[in-house]
Amino acid sequence: MKDLPQTVFVVDDDDAVRDSLRLLLKSAGIPCEVYASAQDFLSGYDAGQPGCLVLDVRMPGMSGLEMQQELNLRGATLPVIFITGHGDIPMAVEAMQHGAFDFLQKPFRDQELLDRVQRALVRDTENRARLRHTDRIRERLATLSPREREVLDLVTQGKANKMVAGDLGVSQRTVEIHRAHVMQKMEAGSLAELVRMMMAVAPRQ
Amino acid sequence: MVGSVNNVHGAAKDGGTQRVRTIIVAGQSSQRTREVLKTLHGFTHVIWPTSLEAALEHTGSADAACLVIADDLREEPIDEFLQEARELHRNLPIFVITDPDDVAEAVSAMRHGATAVIEIPPSYAALREEVARAMQ
Repeated sequence: MKDLPQTVFVVDDDDAVRDSLRLLLKSAGIPCEVYASAQDFLSGYDAGQPGCLVLDVRMPGMSGLEMQQELNLRGATLPVIFITGHGDIPMAVEAMQHGAFDFLQKPFRDQELLDRVQRALVRDTENRARLRHTDRIRERLATLSPREREVLDLVTQGKANKMVAGDLGVSQRTVEIHRAHVMQKMEAGSLAELVRMMMAVAPRQ
Repeated sequence: MVGSVNNVHGAAKDGGTQRVRTIIVAGQSSQRTREVLKTLHGFTHVIWPTSLEAALEHTGSADAACLVIADDLREEPIDEFLQEARELHRNLPIFVITDPDDVAEAVSAMRHGATAVIEIPPSYAALREEVARAMQ
């Protein structure tokens, strides 16, 4: 599947900032869309659209920090670069703790913003590749029968076929057959690869 | 290289079976900041390694509650250290004490693995809150 082109989404209530950022990004050849409020952006938000966000912290209505939390609730992975004219450390720490990619105080140099945008776009590409990888693993997991799933869980815990047979109350030969199906359906070349796949989809601690 | 180990105040009061958690404060810090950090003794055992490297000798301990990096170390390449400490200890709370208003430095510390960046002065309350959470 070919990725859509990456777009920088600028959300800022200040017309002058939106215009200057649009010009700056255009001059750097980076596609960009601008929005005057968080609500405007969220109403057309599409999780499949790659890119990054340049988000003003203080806006009337929904603030940038509130919009970040709303995106987190929606499971968005778009990297967020906050910009603010009145930043302080508690605000920056809160934004970063909620997963902001960066936090930049106005006034900033054009190049400073462009560098961060480029890094955020690279991060977005990496995030999406990782998500595609875990989605593929989950799709394969969904094709397993309940018994195959049990066998998978036990062998990836390091149990030998004999122990798995004992745990499940079936013959070792049956376990071998289930195991072969698991390897085939999961497209795993080895037990180590299977373990890596399960680690990739395990919830993070 | 390791600084003095202070007496425990307010920890393991109920019979000594409770494990004593340790707060690691790296750096001597300014007099003013040090006075604030000294009040951490009210929480539990505090040790004061005199360098970041010395602090790393303690961060792997099961008793380590959190690492506090004090302000006089800010001239050192702290981001690199944070990254290293974070790679070694994924779940260790790491607090960086900084001068007020140095937002860019605070953001950089967060990007490199700090759990929170706390301004001292003015905010002892923020430090107390963060440390209390780390002690849970």
